[in-house]
This record gives sequence, C-alpha cells and structure tokens, in this order.
Amino acid sequence: MGEREPRRTPIFFMSVIIFMLIMSLAALLLAIEAYLVQGKLEIINIILSASALFLATYMFIQIRRRSISLGFETLKVSTIIQCLKCDYRNVREFEKGDYILRDAGSCPKCGGTLIIHSIFRESKEKD
Amino acid sequence: METAVDMQVTLQVSTDWLFQLIWILAFIFIWVYGQKIQTILTLKEIEGSLSRLKNMRDRGRQTVISTIKEIGKPAEDPTPRVDRLLEHVDIEPVSLDPTGIIRRLEHIIDVRDFRLKEEVRQMAPQADETQINNLTNVLEAALALNHVYKVVRHYYLMGKKTLSFYVILQIQMLLPLIMRESEAFANALKAFTLGQPIGDGAGALVAARLMHGNEKRLIAQDTIVSETQIEGRKAYVIKAKGPGGNVGKPGEAIKQILEEEEGKVALIIMIDAAQKLEGEKAGEVAEGVGVAIGGPGVDKYKVEEIATKYKVPLSAILIKESIEDVVSTMRKEIVDGAEEAIDRIKRIIRESTKEGDIVIIAGVGNTIGIAQ
Ligand SMILES: [Zn+2]
Repeated sequence: MGEREPRRTPIFFMSVIIFMLIMSLAALLLAIEAYLVQGKLEIINIILSASALFLATYMFIQIRRRSISLGFETLKVSTIIQCLKCDYRNVREFEKGDYILRDAGSCPKCGGTLIIHSIFRESKEKD
Repeated sequence: METAVDMQVTLQVSTDWLFQLIWILAFIFIWVYGQKIQTILTLKEIEGSLSRLKNMRDRGRQTVISTIKEIGKPAEDPTPRVDRLLEHVDIEPVSLDPTGIIRRLEHIIDVRDFRLKEEVRQMAPQADETQINNLTNVLEAALALNHVYKVVRHYYLMGKKTLSFYVILQIQMLLPLIMRESEAFANALKAFTLGQPIGDGAGALVAARLMHGNEKRLIAQDTIVSETQIEGRKAYVIKAKGPGGNVGKPGEAIKQILEEEEGKVALIIMIDAAQKLEGEKAGEVAEGVGVAIGGPGVDKYKVEEIATKYKVPLSAILIKESIEDVVSTMRKEIVDGAEEAIDRIKRIIRESTKEGDIVIIAGVGNTIGIAQ
C-alpha cells in the first residue's frame, strides 16, 4: 500500500455541526414564538436548543483541537565550565562539539585546567 | 381577525409537531448508529495523531540525511541508502527451545549493531569514530519513529476498512503512551545530532566522574575500565567509551574483571537510569539489589550468571527519570541526581566492605556527550 495522506477536512462533522445549529435555532425560534404568541414558557424547546448548541460547539472544539500541529520546542541547553584547581565556574550556552569532561583551556584565575563539568537543559515541566 | 389567530395557532401546533418528530428521529439515529459515530470520531482522533507521527518520521529521516551530508561529506547522495535502512527489521531468535537463547540473541544484536555502524561508515566516510556513533544513534531514533508510524498507520487503516470498534480501540488505548514515546524520540534527534548527553547517560556520568584523571583501558567492545581508590578500597570503574553514542558491553566487562580477580570481589555496584513513576521527581535516587541494566537482557544475564557463580553481592543505584527524559538532553535534576549517586556509592562501600577490598562500579547507559 502506498503512502496515504490522512484527510484533513472533516466534512461529515461539519455537516453534523451545521444540522445541530439549525435544529438549535429552530427550537429556539419555536420557544420564542410560543412565548410571544401564547405567553407560555416552553422549557423543552429551550433545553433542546441549548443542548444542541452545546453539542455543536463541543464537536467544533474537538475538531479544531486536533488540527493544531505540533511545534517542536527548541530547548535551551547550558554548558558549565569548571576549574579543576580553584572554584572558578562559568556557565555558557551549549556549543557544537561540547561534551562532558572535555578540556576547555586554562583558568583565567589560577591558570589551572578547565573542563566541561556538565551539560544540561533547563526544563519547564514540573513533576 | 379571530380566524387569523386560529390559523396561526394551528400552524404553530403543526410545526411544533414536525420538529418533535425530527428530534425523535435524530435520537433514534444516534441510538442505532451511536457506535459507528463513536468509531468515526475515534478514527478522526487517531488520524490527527497519525499525521503528527508522520511529521516526526519525516523530520527524523530528513535529520539523518542532512546530518550525514554535513558531517560525512559523502560522494553520492545518501537518501536511497537511508530509506533502505529505515526499513531495517530485526528477527528475534526462536524461543521454542530456550537453551542458549541469550547467546543467540547477543549474536543477532552484535551483527545488527555492526551492520548499522558499517552502513553509516560507508555513507559518511569523513566522519570520525565519535561522529559515526552519534550518527548511528540518530539513525536508530529515526528507525524507531518510522516503525511506530507504520504500526499506528496499520491499525488506523485496518480500523477504517473494517469500521470495527474493537480494532480501533486497541490502538486508541495505547495512543497517548505511543505519542509520548515518539515525541521523546523526535526530541532525541536533536540531542543526538549535536552530541549532547541524554538522560539515559546518568549512570555513565557517575562512572565518568569517578574515573576522571585515572588511567583507562579497553576491556570489552566499546567499554573501558579504570582502576581507582575509593574510601581505601580498590575500585574498578566501568563505563561505555565516550563521548560518542555507545552503550558498550557492561556485562562482558564485569565478567572479564571478575575472572581476572578470580571472583575475589566484595561488591558490584551498578548505576543506571530508571523510569520513574508519575508523581516521583526526576533525578531522585533509589537503592536496591540486583542487576541494574536495561535493554534486551543479554548483559543483565551475564552479570547475574557470573555474580551467582562467585557469590558476589549485587547493589543497584537508580536515578529516576521519565520516559521523555531518557532520550532527550540531560536535565539539570539528573545531573544533580548523579552527584547524589556518587555520595551513595561511597556510603554503600563504607558500610558493606572492608578497607583493601575490591569493588566493581559500573555506570550503565548511553554515554553520548560524556567522555571519561
Ligand atoms: Zn582556576
């Protein structure tokens, strides 16, 4: 079987939503008419109208929500450089070619060897 | 005047009646076709996830191709070869007769790893050893994404064909978990191409810290060992050879050392990343007994065998992380967890061994982005 693109236009659901909206509107009109002409409150029609409207919006939101495409987040990754002799410490952004325990030149404070102590990302999600 | 009002009332009553009928019909329709509607709705939901999976799969494939072109400087276009590799399948050994299945499984895994690395080497002639290993990891992630996409598509199309609620239900139940894992792999692509350390490397990081500055030697394929003194005990520290993406053969390495020392080892401590339960914190450290090595079980089996033979106690230290963390760039919490694991190792050694004893400490996991 060849590559099949999943269809994107939910025609069936749009027609169901439109049908619901028409029914809701009709029920609402009936209720209003009954109120104006006969002066009585038709609870059933009002409830029907409200629930059809609710269902239509619910379905619409469902369809909308699914079509949102996924954005790949770019993560901020930091590199910590530390001196082996003194307490010199420097945090900078990750650069290509960095790896943990790589030599990173000599210390500006004492002349000792600098190494990359750790590389990590700051995460937003809470556990 | 009165007739007009009468007319209006009759009209009102008849339209009323008509609408009630439509409503009743609608309810009957929903009652009869409810499950079909539900099925179609579920199919739509799967369709959305499927297109996301396809998106990730394509991104994975593109990443592999562009990284190979960038690093390896191939003479010819690697695209057809990558497409062929993405369809790679592994066939598990037969389990009807389980005798020696671990050895057979190990052989298949070895051949597979060798083949993949060889293919990458041929596609990227200019890449060094570290880059070859990292590229192989990128390829593995793309392979996983491709496989997941195809399986989900299979169930989706099956469901669409049969409109059977139960076919669709199977995939729908698993879909949230599948999506989490796939998104983790999609994020892993970036970490692998840049050679950043990943969450799975927590154990390797601990071992790297312990062996830093000491002499190292190769003990098994892609695996190194270093002798050092910890709390007055002689410690063999084992990890996969970094900073390329490797898991090495910790099982084989432990076996070699135990045989070199003729079993006179007081304790084996293994450090590995472990999947946390929801509600647990990432980077939390837990202790236990047993062999802490994930994967297909070859290394785990070897350590269990040899430790049982020489009656060496096995201690495990686990650094907890979520499934997303395992293959994405290492989180700060996990780096901190590794520091805590080192303190725990020292405490365990002090409490359960004597000075002058020999201990083996193995940091398990993918050592990408972590040297030694
Ligand atoms: Zn310094």
